[in-house]
Amino acid sequence: MAYVTSVGLVRVDRNYYKSPRDLAFEAASKAIEDVKLDTIDYVIVTSSLTYLQASQFDLAAYIARELGVNVRSAFTVEAGENSGLAGVEVALNLIRSHAAERILLVGVDKLTEYISNRTYKMIQAIYDTESDAVYNVGHAGPMALLMRLYMDRYGVDRETLAHWPVMMHTHGKENPYAMLRFKVTPDKVVNAMPIAEPITLLDAYPLGDGAAAVLLSSEDQGGDHLAKLSEVYSSIGFQSIALRDDPLSFEAVGQIAREAGLNPEDIDVAEIHDSFTITGILLLEELGFAPRGKAAEMVAEGAFTKGGSGPLVNASGGLKARGHPKGATGVYMLAEVAMQLAGTFPGIRADSPRKGIAVGVNAHGSSARLAFLEAL
Amino acid sequence: MVLPVWWRKRIPRYRFVGALCKDCGRIHYPPRNACPYCGSRNLELVPLPRRGVLESYSIVYSVPGDNRLNAPLPIGLVRLENGVRVVAELTDVVPEKLEKGIEVEAVIRRIGEDGETGTILYGVKFRPALGRK
Ligand SMILES: [Zn+2]
Repeated sequence: MAYVTSVGLVRVDRNYYKSPRDLAFEAASKAIEDVKLDTIDYVIVTSSLTYLQASQFDLAAYIARELGVNVRSAFTVEAGENSGLAGVEVALNLIRSHAAERILLVGVDKLTEYISNRTYKMIQAIYDTESDAVYNVGHAGPMALLMRLYMDRYGVDRETLAHWPVMMHTHGKENPYAMLRFKVTPDKVVNAMPIAEPITLLDAYPLGDGAAAVLLSSEDQGGDHLAKLSEVYSSIGFQSIALRDDPLSFEAVGQIAREAGLNPEDIDVAEIHDSFTITGILLLEELGFAPRGKAAEMVAEGAFTKGGSGPLVNASGGLKARGHPKGATGVYMLAEVAMQLAGTFPGIRADSPRKGIAVGVNAHGSSARLAFLEAL
Repeated sequence: MVLPVWWRKRIPRYRFVGALCKDCGRIHYPPRNACPYCGSRNLELVPLPRRGVLESYSIVYSVPGDNRLNAPLPIGLVRLENGVRVVAELTDVVPEKLEKGIEVEAVIRRIGEDGETGTILYGVKFRPALGRK
């Protein structure tokens, strides 16, 4: 295990005046400003798009050098939309194997450097470029196929599904680091511009830039910490929804939930991957937070908001409202769950939570990761 | 998509062939280096049925790259007659008439252009099936 010692977040936004390195510098500086540090063993940067958006290789070394701290080693981890939690997995294993005492994780990505259709082309590559992404499916196409399949199979209507973004915006409104801080109604969601029918603009994460940093420490490091990072579970899934026996099953998520022995009643707070409404809904079901076909109804009844029957899910506003700067998102999630457990999250807070999880996937579930955290 | 990437996959893409796993008996498309179900490399290329049923569909507005000029584009999840599923673009459709369960058939169509060389890239799309089998 490792400790989450401190965090530094930049509000997700269209940060036209800041480069990926500026954003990373800002988040990393915030994370280490109040910690007495001799050496950081590793700076692990998690980024998915920087090579395409800023044409920079060995990004981690360039970011680390500017911090003005003694850094032993720096490298970048890329796992698409799941990059952030992949970095967490690597960091935890380095600390557990006594290869490191202090690791600074910095997640960063910029999605607004180019016009949107060029960005769509880049982010379409989260899907398999040898099958589904041969076509012009965009970033939302395969998930739209799943959304319609879900509505047909379980007889869930469009309006009921709109309660996910409604809840995300209600949560995000209270989070100072969220990109979208306004409420929406189910009606607004249903009637928003279509991205890939039946997915509308308000079902989808916004294109924004951001960076998040988390300082992880080994058990031997004294001082104050926010939370304990106990374990990261990881799995890989099929290359396409077309290969699954049931296209609606995120088998990689189910796999790690079983491996973790996840009992939804034990979990107080969760940050889960909701690139689109349907992703959030299917993850809730795959994690056992809701029976199959029932998650949207439970969301509409308020099960996953403060005071609901389930855990508090995505108090940050999720990918939907906090934003989804790809490679940075998992680091935001880890920071948010740690702050919840420490009682310092600056938005909607769970009541004295003990256990929390951060769950990420890439695309339709080509990979999945679950980080398990505990209060100190 | 860069040209050599496209060229290497031309046979399965133009002739619409899948791979039959001789160990577990399952067929997948496009053919991969190992069976996605059991990991076996004991694979044989097999032609795929041209007809199938539309299980789900979408009209994509956030179309990437230069193809935005052709937006919106219909895509579908097709279940072929042998049970193999394919995600592909749809063609020759009236969006309002798309519905789950309609019969579709594979045809070769233009998918896009390689931006740098201008080469036209073709592949299989599905259209509503014409006539009887
Ligand atoms: Zn096999």
